[in-house]
Amino acid sequence: MSSSRRRFLQGAALGTATLTLPGFLVGCGSKEAVAVASGAAEAPANPFLTWFGVDEAMLTRVLAELTGNGADMADLYFQYRSNNSISMEDGIVNKASSSVDEGVGLRVVVGDQTGYAFTEDLSEEAMLAAARTARAIAREASAVVPPQAFQTASMPNHYKLVVPWADVGISRKLPLLESVEAKARAADPSIKSVRIWWTDAEEKVLVANHLGHIYTDSRPMTRLWCSLTAERDGQTVSNGSNLAARQGIDWYTDESLTRLAAEAVERTLRLFDARRPPAGEMPVVLAAGASGILLHEAIGHGMEADFNRKGTSIYSEMIGKEVAPDFVTIVDSGVEPNERGALNFDDEGNPVEKTVLVENGVMRSYLHDAISAKHYGVKPTGSGRRQSFRHSPMPRMRCTYMENGPHTKDEIIASVQHGIVAETFTNGQVQIGAGDYTFYIKNGWLIEDGKITAPIKDCNIIGNGPESLRNVTMAANDARLDTGGWTCGKNGQSVPVSQGLPTVLVSKMTVGGVS
Amino acid sequence: MANTPNSALLAERAQQALELAVAAGADDARVHASRSREVEYTGRDGSLEKVKEATARSLSLDLWVGGRFSSHSTTSMDPARLRTFVDEAVALTRALQPDPHRTLPDPALYGGRTEADLELIQPEIDTLDSAKREAWLGELDAGLHADERVISASGYVGSTLSESAVVSTNGLEGSYGGTQLWVGGSATVRDAGEGRPEGSWYVGVRQLDDLPPLTDVASKALEQATVRIGSQKGPTTKTLMVLDPRTASRMVSRLLGALTARGVYQGRSFYAGKVGEKLFSELLTITDEPHLPRGLGSRPYDGEGIASAPRTMIGAGVVEQLYVDTYYGNKAEMTPNGGSRSNVVVASGSDKDFDGLLYDIGEAIYVSGWLGGNADGTTGDFSFGVRGHHIHKGQVGPAIGEMNVTGNYIDLFSKLVAVGNDPWPFRSTMVPSMVFEGVDFSGA
Repeated sequence: MSSSRRRFLQGAALGTATLTLPGFLVGCGSKEAVAVASGAAEAPANPFLTWFGVDEAMLTRVLAELTGNGADMADLYFQYRSNNSISMEDGIVNKASSSVDEGVGLRVVVGDQTGYAFTEDLSEEAMLAAARTARAIAREASAVVPPQAFQTASMPNHYKLVVPWADVGISRKLPLLESVEAKARAADPSIKSVRIWWTDAEEKVLVANHLGHIYTDSRPMTRLWCSLTAERDGQTVSNGSNLAARQGIDWYTDESLTRLAAEAVERTLRLFDARRPPAGEMPVVLAAGASGILLHEAIGHGMEADFNRKGTSIYSEMIGKEVAPDFVTIVDSGVEPNERGALNFDDEGNPVEKTVLVENGVMRSYLHDAISAKHYGVKPTGSGRRQSFRHSPMPRMRCTYMENGPHTKDEIIASVQHGIVAETFTNGQVQIGAGDYTFYIKNGWLIEDGKITAPIKDCNIIGNGPESLRNVTMAANDARLDTGGWTCGKNGQSVPVSQGLPTVLVSKMTVGGVS
Repeated sequence: MANTPNSALLAERAQQALELAVAAGADDARVHASRSREVEYTGRDGSLEKVKEATARSLSLDLWVGGRFSSHSTTSMDPARLRTFVDEAVALTRALQPDPHRTLPDPALYGGRTEADLELIQPEIDTLDSAKREAWLGELDAGLHADERVISASGYVGSTLSESAVVSTNGLEGSYGGTQLWVGGSATVRDAGEGRPEGSWYVGVRQLDDLPPLTDVASKALEQATVRIGSQKGPTTKTLMVLDPRTASRMVSRLLGALTARGVYQGRSFYAGKVGEKLFSELLTITDEPHLPRGLGSRPYDGEGIASAPRTMIGAGVVEQLYVDTYYGNKAEMTPNGGSRSNVVVASGSDKDFDGLLYDIGEAIYVSGWLGGNADGTTGDFSFGVRGHHIHKGQVGPAIGEMNVTGNYIDLFSKLVAVGNDPWPFRSTMVPSMVFEGVDFSGA
């Protein structure tokens, strides 16, 4: 009961959206991507159909039932997700978890109305019953002829693995956890407690729609988290770091594990000397990488077309307008190799792309799912995503970043008389309509007279999206994506995302400090 | 065992999975079998936007094999696949390292379960027909549009019926369930500048007769949006902070985040070494109340099957106890007491409601909503985004926003100077209005 309440409360604040770092929320799947083009009904059995225990004739019958009251659009979203996690505490690998989550979501769309049902029982009887539930919303819809044959689409693969996670036993994973644990523990005598958390996942997805198209994909995901507590002179501090991507076991090398442990140690120990920043408005330098959180909150959510279609976003009337200096180009891409936000097609079967949100300072495109694309009369941008088969899709970000600018990091730091550098973050949130957004800085630096001086910690930043974009006064040539994993929450649904930024100066933001 | 519509089926399913686990070689096991049905209706601007209806089910297994521990869950009920799943889970467990602190709870802790009727379930909520739900959406929609500045508004009517049964190899047996009905809405309104302020209001109940009038719910949601019109950036200042019962509920919920044996043991809690000490204002008394009739967090036992009981967590500012689960109880040599929050109740501190508290105040900032922010559980340092209003001569003044509140939990709750008598009843954390002094706001 409490879980359903929490789920609701997440979704309750329509118009707000959150981004969180702490993982444990999402896992996805593995294996080489599939997408073999096949002819029609006579083609060899699609292995995904076999996996889910269905065939094309059954899909036809379920889609016929689903569209029995008519529809503009209808689809079935089959999903299997297998997740494995392992944790280590006090030097012992002392807990493992696994989960299998499987089912089908059935959707009918009429205009901007959606009927949705799901079932974890993949028998034809259960799917037909769910179809009758989902179609109830369709009352005056145009008739649909259910597809008699299906075509499986071919897609590029942005996360091909050498070895799928299903073929990797726990014995290959344990040494990786132990290695990071040992490296972190040995790094400094003040490290008192080391906690390591591992997860790998493989997901199989099959989308079948009313047009007779089938899309199949295998989506891998993994994350390794190192969390530390250190004590010195009676002071206790905790922090950590993580690596996350749509990657396989080979991605973890001694070099990347060493870097992970060193980063976790450095971020933790630095807290001993860190102070709270002064309070109020000041220039903020966003360090390259994870600071892409600025884009996610200040502009990304506001560009999701469902909010704009309903007129509830502050960006609802800004397409074609100048919103930032001309060196600012902001992209949301589904095609960045092996990123958490990468997809081979979106959760409605639409091809993914690199969508330019802001080009040389001018607002270009929203992020569309099929419903909003139809509303605006444009092509979908491949942004229709969902948390699982239990949820209907909506426009979401994938991998959001800013292209390189004309300045250098040193120039930017030197230009600030009194301000801060924001370097690592835990979470952010935005009010879509008002445009106010926040993100929380875990580690940063004070800038005094153009020089980085003391470390700072634990301050929230608040700003207004359109205003902050106008206040991006410098951007460096060092753009990179964050290597840690981010999970985006919207209307109660979580999806994996990525983000990146070059070093950027925002001339004025409100820093939560103490007087 | 409380009877719910599917409790017999769930108990049987749990028992079968337990037997599979033992047959596969588990020394001990605990199995939860769950089922939940949800029906959600969303309306927008006069029409039905989305209808979602589904029944979900799952099995979760905790396994102890040769002193090693693992936990697993699946939605697949197919007997052959379930057998494979359990076999693989047991094999996986053997690959771990033994940890003597991983045990089932002492079965003595299963005893003494409440026999009171907690009134958690009303089947009529689950079976509300679509005509009724749509009529309610219509009522909400009318109220949400009662202002010409509304750009778009959305109403919501959602219900869940959740049930679970649990069994373990050391004698645990139980089942219970509950219904919840959530209604509310959100509205977005036009402002003079670029901004399109939004507001929302939702309430959740377990029984239909606790539902407030829908016209009140809708007008509250609309008011939350219209009061934001013309909002200005707030100041950087150190002043009194007033929280209403909703924003106070969120703050108290955060305060308790680190009040766990797990956090203290891991050195990640500012409560470490503080149990028994007065840490906060004596106006702060917090109890955990698992047996409140109709409470959204009420339960006869916790996730480990330990019988729940009312407990004082913070008594007149003194930290009385932590939330202790079996694992960290074993590690830290503490008796498990429920592991997690049920209903959290903050005792009333006066005979005044929000308006009454304001009357006693000259100048202050009223925080009516939170936006983002976070805290460090190890140190208690926090920083949150806020919106709200100036309080001038005891009256709620103009809307302000784009500010942060920054401080430390221990310091903040030691500066709690007034607590009202008006707890918000539609959450499991029930907290009255609160007033704090000397709070750092950062704005313009």
